[in-house]
Amino acid sequence: MAGYAAIVKKDLMLEVRGGRITTVLVSLALLVLVVLVFAFDRAVAQGPDTAAGALWIALVFAGMLGATRVVLSEQENGCLRALLLSPLDRATIYAAKLTASFGFMVGAAIAATILAMLFFNLEFSMSLAALMLVLILGALGFSALATLLAVIAARARGGELLLPLLIVPLFVPALIAGVKASAAVLSGAALATSRDWVGILIAFDVLFVTAGYLLFEHVVGEE
Amino acid sequence: MAAPVIETHALGKTFGLTPVLRETDFRLAPGHAAVIIGGNGSGKSTLLSILCGLVSPSEGSALVFGEDTRRFSPRYRRRIGMLSHQSFLYPNLTARENLEFYARLYGVSEPRKAADAWLERIGLGESADDRVRTFSRGMEQRLTAARAMIHNPALLLLDEPFAALDSDGIARVKAMIREAADEGCTLVATAHAQLEIEGISFELYEIVRGQVVEYQEKDEARRGGRLRSLLSPRS
Repeated sequence: MAGYAAIVKKDLMLEVRGGRITTVLVSLALLVLVVLVFAFDRAVAQGPDTAAGALWIALVFAGMLGATRVVLSEQENGCLRALLLSPLDRATIYAAKLTASFGFMVGAAIAATILAMLFFNLEFSMSLAALMLVLILGALGFSALATLLAVIAARARGGELLLPLLIVPLFVPALIAGVKASAAVLSGAALATSRDWVGILIAFDVLFVTAGYLLFEHVVGEE
Repeated sequence: MAAPVIETHALGKTFGLTPVLRETDFRLAPGHAAVIIGGNGSGKSTLLSILCGLVSPSEGSALVFGEDTRRFSPRYRRRIGMLSHQSFLYPNLTARENLEFYARLYGVSEPRKAADAWLERIGLGESADDRVRTFSRGMEQRLTAARAMIHNPALLLLDEPFAALDSDGIARVKAMIREAADEGCTLVATAHAQLEIEGISFELYEIVRGQVVEYQEKDEARRGGRLRSLLSPRS
């Protein structure tokens, strides 16, 4: 547990100091939302479907660049090797990296939601709390997937370029479920009406958190 | 006789189609020190990577503390310290934060105190709160040595430990290695050629065509005696 806490604390400390991931996450979310709000017709842009779509596009793009940095930054000076040499078991390293990545994704989700409220004239209401819950479920699944695949990318030449090609197709089921549930919530419906979509998000989270926890050792195992 | 800390049987490693190590039998008793000499790409680093469990052998086996390195459990990894070509340091953390982080990873009690003690020992006490990215190569290497030893390992793997160090840095790192040896730590070092630390008598090995062999005196003669100083008895 001390090792887990040490890695999470170190990642947060590095981020507070460098601020690279937060800057990327927020600026990318801002960029996507600005482009989409001006690309759509005004009437269309006010709709919940558009807002939900824009929010998830921002989240996925921001996550792709931001969440994976938590793992890729360990490449510098061979720090990933040092973690593997340490007495921590691989699953603990995965859990720590997932926690840090998830933390940054939640930060991105909050920033994107605030920006979306401004750009799409969303009202601050209870539906936003439900929306945050949906986004957090999506962020967890995305982080679990991105952390696992980022390790593969870190070990392959040009792996960073490969990462989006690996992540996006696998994330599509959660993306569709997230957009649908978010659109329903933003249109004023209760979250219970989207229980199937939320169920898919939860199933995705369980699947990839478990897969990451079990497979990380094998993915990271041999040089 | 105590069980060897390191024991390899017909150890081999092939990357793709390229064999790097082959048929290597190597034993090292507790508290002993060995230096493995070889040129660039001879397989020295690969051997150390196998011994610390980062790389799996393609053939044969490597036992460290009696445990097969293919199935190295965390409690065995805790007993190994590795000083490699890479520093394993985070440039945006300070020297103290780096050492404290590794102390916590290895479950060292009072990590902050341990970090400060090591910083004083390596002469970086005044730079404790400076970020590592502002360090010179020599300062970084000294910190790297402290990072490798902060958990008082029972086996220290040193991959060309004095690369990029100035004379003061070499003296400090040598002192650290000597203290570790005095405390009974088993040492395996790699070097291109000479490696001499006063007070430590190294068993000499050489990698010849991927095979770790005992260094032969006739080879020394052939090489003009450049390794003679390494053969002095342990004091």
